[in-house]
Order: sequence, then structure tokens, then C-alpha cells
Amino acid sequence: MQRLLLLGLNHTTAPLEVRERLAFSATARQSAFEQFKQRFPASEMVILSTCNRIELYAARPVHEHPTPSELVEFLATSHALSPAEVEPHLYRKTNRDVVEHLFSVSSSLDSMVLGETQILGQVREAYEAASRQQMTGTSLNPLFQRALGVGKQIMHETPLAEGRVSVASVAVDYARQIFERFDDKTVLCVGGGKMAALVLQAFVALSPGSLLICNRSPDRAQSLATKFNGKPAPFEQLVDHLVAADIVVTSTGAEQPIISRTQFEAILKRRRYRPIFIIDIAFPRDVEPAVGELSHVYLYNLDDLQSVVLNTRSQRQDAFLSARQIVLRQVEEYALWHRQRELGPTIQRLYERYHALAQDELNRTLNKLPNISAAERSHLDELARRIVNKLLHDPIHTLRNADAGHGPNIQYVHALEKLFQLGDSSMAPSPGTPGEGWGEGDSGDQQRATFDNTLTPAPPALSPSTGRGGKAPELPKPSLSPATSRDESPAEPQPLPPEDVKG
Amino acid sequence: MPEIPTLGQLTLLVAAVAMFVAAEAFSLLRLRGSERHRIAAKAFLYWGITFALGVLIWHSVRRGTWRPLQDNFDALVWLALLLALFVAYTQRVHPLRGLDWFILPIVGGLLIAAAVFGRAEPHEYLGTVWSSIHLVSAFGGTAAFAVAAAVGAMYLVVDRRLRTKRPALFGSLERLEHFTRVSVGLGFPLLTVGLITGFVLAFDTHGSSNSAPPWYEIPKVWLAFAAWLVYALVLHAPINPVFRGRRAAMLSVVGFVLLLGTLVALQFTPGGPR
Repeated sequence: MQRLLLLGLNHTTAPLEVRERLAFSATARQSAFEQFKQRFPASEMVILSTCNRIELYAARPVHEHPTPSELVEFLATSHALSPAEVEPHLYRKTNRDVVEHLFSVSSSLDSMVLGETQILGQVREAYEAASRQQMTGTSLNPLFQRALGVGKQIMHETPLAEGRVSVASVAVDYARQIFERFDDKTVLCVGGGKMAALVLQAFVALSPGSLLICNRSPDRAQSLATKFNGKPAPFEQLVDHLVAADIVVTSTGAEQPIISRTQFEAILKRRRYRPIFIIDIAFPRDVEPAVGELSHVYLYNLDDLQSVVLNTRSQRQDAFLSARQIVLRQVEEYALWHRQRELGPTIQRLYERYHALAQDELNRTLNKLPNISAAERSHLDELARRIVNKLLHDPIHTLRNADAGHGPNIQYVHALEKLFQLGDSSMAPSPGTPGEGWGEGDSGDQQRATFDNTLTPAPPALSPSTGRGGKAPELPKPSLSPATSRDESPAEPQPLPPEDVKG
Repeated sequence: MPEIPTLGQLTLLVAAVAMFVAAEAFSLLRLRGSERHRIAAKAFLYWGITFALGVLIWHSVRRGTWRPLQDNFDALVWLALLLALFVAYTQRVHPLRGLDWFILPIVGGLLIAAAVFGRAEPHEYLGTVWSSIHLVSAFGGTAAFAVAAAVGAMYLVVDRRLRTKRPALFGSLERLEHFTRVSVGLGFPLLTVGLITGFVLAFDTHGSSNSAPPWYEIPKVWLAFAAWLVYALVLHAPINPVFRGRRAAMLSVVGFVLLLGTLVALQFTPGGPR
């Protein structure tokens, strides 16, 4: 039995300064994975770190670690902070709520910019990075694969991505409030990245007088310059470029600001006090906030632009609601799929046991009928099999198709094993066992496990190629149609579809 | 010639003020995006202009001459009318959102000043070439500086909003700065001419009247000179860009306040050139 945990913070719970401090660079994430693996070898983890959110998705066996408090401590110590410093900005979710949250995130419903597609790539990248480090398994593999599917579905099937107000368009709007014309202006791009490219593209559409691309990597600068019909500019001469520029888009991966107030004060006179519009979309920020206090300087960071974007959300409620409905339906489908997967091994044992019993009784009867023909024997075999299937059909069908939102799954499994003496109860702890909830060892967070809040164990065989959890299970493709029940035929003694038993 | 406007003229003046106030109110209501408010604002502006023009026509007929700027009442109403016409022209040809929000209060203020302080008593130095040049240049310059001050105030508002990461309500900073520079560029030569002719008139009046105080004791002269210096600084911006942007905008407002001071001083200066 696995338990899903989520610990995170985003643009609604933490200011940019806090998010900057808790962000994971690629190196920091790798190091975090190694530490996590050492401390919690039986658990899985994916780290989603974007400019708007830092989230740790973890899955662990019910009696194992990390506990929520351990996860908080892990996040804090990874950034040389104390748990008390990060605690006020965090949100925590468990099991079904984690699924719903991740589906909302991948669908951009939790983003500042509704309908933005970048988050889908970021979720994919986070999952693939964890997968490469063998940090994902039977719990997080299907969860993230389904989340990516849901995100794609929403982008294709809802108008959410249409007419969205993006950070780039807001940046251009602000530029228009500072400058009247752009054919005599110089746009300077410092750094690169997808977001910078998007913003740059929006400014290129204004036909600026000149476009300078300044990057530490001359090749990257040349590539962007070719793409946008600009000129590559040496990074070492950044100050000179700042003197020439009217609009600056900065998005480097530098850990420290590359433009300081002192540095900028010194060039104000050289600029002849011309207004300058600086769009700092780097994370962490490239420009010291104090630069924005200087006269003639208009400095906007990601939060500033996104807050404008946020105001447009209310105008797109219809698209939001239809996307939200899809997310909720997909969460239901996922929960159902999970329940079926969870019950699979137990049901299989049930069928095997009762077919074996029927076969024993049949053999005993056949021994008393020595003159029976092969055809008659076959008919009797068929009869025994049908009786067992008929007897088991209704309870199993009900069990599999129970309302996803109700019923303690673990209790059903346990009852089934006890009532039908299936023997192997090691997979499922007794209902209500202390410590099975999210807050194991952390009484404040203890919650009772519910039917949909309990996940199945990993398959016994682990494939080295796919990390700890072996091969990821094949999920049914997300669809808008309601979840269909898998109604096994009484004539089929092995009722589970192949994907259900892969684990 | 009576020294104060007639009750009929004052009533018409008050009606013009009411129209401009209504135009201002509907223009502000346009923030809610209603087309009806825009049309109403424009209609009230035109009615205000018509009423103000009516006041001037009535005043000219009563006075028996069509020559403008013959007395303080006439001059203040003319100044208000020029500004209102400028707003109407700009909003039709080169719309600048919010320009009326800032200029119409000046228009209303000038009309109220005309009603309260305006005297229909002709300037005592009228009739000379110097006085005509002085009046045209001084009031033309003041009208240009009123526009510069309004646009300067708009610049300060936009600058403030952009710094607090709120969308600007008016045109771009660059356009507002350009507007200020052009207005000051037009107003400055006019004010210079007005100042020079004013000095000539001051010396002339001082020489011809024992009751008139010497020019250096006239507050209006000093206020006008101070305003001229301020605008000289604003015009200086292309040479010394330290005076561009917010500083230029602030100086435009300060300069106009000083010019308003000269108008006030004009009302209360005993004798001497007005």
C-alpha cells in the first residue's frame, strides 16, 4: 500500500523572494534526489520547481517514511533554512487531493496564466528528471503519465488556451504605456530560455529599431539573433548594451543579480536619463529590486506581470469551468482505475481459490463416474466454472464499481481476505491501523485512510530500466466519456484487463 | 462702460461652467467603458464652448468692439475658451485619453475667476502696438503653458501608476513628454515676447503716471519672470537631460502655478500694468 504526499508552495502562498530561495536548480534537484534516496529508500519523489511553484510529490509505503514533517524538514534543509521559515508558505495534500492538484497543475488551472502551455512541459521535465534518477515507481509513474495526458487533453479540447493573456502580451502593453513608438528603440535580451523567447517574439512584432541578444554562450546568442533577426552582443559588454537599450528582457540562470543598483546608477547619465523598461523574468531575479527605485527606470518582474494576467482570469470563467469538469472527471477515472488495480490481486486470488475448489469437487465426482465420455466431462467442467463465475460475479462487480468517492477500500480488501480466507493479508493492514494516515508519527496531520486514498503496492519484480517501481502501468487514455466499468464476463475466469495486473 | 459683467453674462458663464463640469464628469465615467458617456462628455464640452462663446459675443456687443482681450473678464474667458477649443480639437484629431480630465478643471477655474474677479474695465494701456503684442503673446503663452501643465500632471500620474505596477490610464510617457515639450516650446517664445513687451509697458506706464509703482515693485513682473525661468529650465532638457521626464513635468506644473499667480496678481495690483 502506497501513500501519496504533496508538499508545496506557489505564487498564491509565497512571495517571489521566498520562491527564489526555495527553488531547485537542475544541480540542486539532483543532489536533493540523492539525499532523498539515501534517507527514504522505499519512497518515490518528483520535484516540480518552476518560477511559480515548488512542489515535492512523494509516494511511500504506509508504514514508511517520510512523514509530512520530515518532508518539510527535507525541503527546508535542502536550502539551508529551518522548517519554521518555510512552514507558513506551504500547503500539504494527500492521496486523492494530490491527484486532483497535479491534474489541475498540468492543465494550467492552477497557473497564473490560464491556458498557458509551458507548465505541461515543466511537469514533463520534472517527471523525466525524477525518472532518470530512478525516483519514480508504481505510484508516481502512472500519476504523472495520466497528468500529462489530462493536460494535453484540456489544451486540445477546451478553449482554455485560446485568447489567453500572457506575460509577453502584458509586457508589451506596459511598454506601450512608456514608449509611443518602437522603430527608434533598442531591445536588449539578456540570457535566453523559453519565456524570454516568447517575450522577445512579442517585442519583435513591434518592429524595434534594433535588437541585441546578449548571452554568455556566443552560440546561443547567435542562434537567438538569427531567429529574431537581431544582433548578437558580447555578454562582457553588458553595461554598454544597457546604455544603448530602451527595453531590456532579462532571463539568465544566474543565482545572483547581474544588474545592481550601483551599476545602473552609474550609467543613468550615460543614458542621458532616457526611460528604460526592464522586464526581469529570470528566476531568481537578474536585476536588484532597488534598480526599480531609480528615476527613469521601470522595472517589472515576473510577479508584477503575472498579477495583471491574474486579473484576466475572471473573463475566462467559462473555459475554466469546462476544463475543471474534465479534471474532476479524470480524477474520478483515475481513482476508479486505481481501485481496480488495487483489488486486482485479491480478486485474482479469490477466483483462483474458488475455481480450484470447484475443480477438486469436480474431480471427486468424476472419479465416481468412470464411464463418462469426454464430451460429458467437458460439459461438467464448463458447469463448475460457470457456477463459480456466477457466484462471484455480483460481489466483485459491486466491489469494482462502487462509487469512487465512498467506502474504505482497505476495509473491503481486508474483509474479502478474511471472509473468503484468501490467506495473504500481508498486503493490507487492518483498517484503522495507527500510522496508516498521512500524519504517521505526526499526530497533527493524521488522517484516516479512505477507499480512494490508499494505493496499491508495487509489483514484486522491479525493472532496472524504469526505476524503482518497474514498468509503468498502461493507463487508459484520458477521454471525455464517463468511466466505463470493467464488467468481466462470467465465462472468463481471468477478469482483469492486462493493464490492471501489470501493477 | 460698466466695470462688472452683467447678470445675463454671468448666468451664461455659470451655464458654461456647468456644461464643462458635466463634460468632466461624463468623461470620468468613461472609465467604465460606456460609449454613451463618451458622447455625453463630448456634447457637454461643445455646449460649454458654445455658452462661453456666447458670453464673449454678448460682452463684445455690449462693449461695442470685437477686439479681444480688452479687459480682464474678456481675457479670462478667452483663455478658457482657447483651452476648451484645444481639448475639442485634440480629442477629435489626436485623441489623448484623459487630457480633458486635466484641462477642463483649468477651464472651469478660469471661467469662475472671470465671474468672480473679472472686471469689464478696459486695460488702461490699450491701443498701443506694444499692448496688443503683449496681450496676445502673454495669453497665448499662458494657454500653451496650461496645456503643458495639464499634460505634465498626466505624466506624473502615469509615472506613478507605472511605478506602482498599475496600468497607465492616459497616453504613453513618451507621448506625454513630447506634448509637454511642444507646448512649452510654443509657450516659451510667446511668454518671452510677453515679458519683454510687459517690461516696455511697465517702464512706459511708470514714466507716464506718478501713481503707478515702479516695475520692480509689481508682483506680476516677478512672477512672470520666475515662470519664464522655470520654462527655460524645461526647455533646457534636450541640452541637459537631467530636466527631462518627471522633473520636466513637475516644472511645467510649477511654471503654470506661477503664471496663475500673475493672473491673480493682475487682479489685485493697484494701478500699473495689468
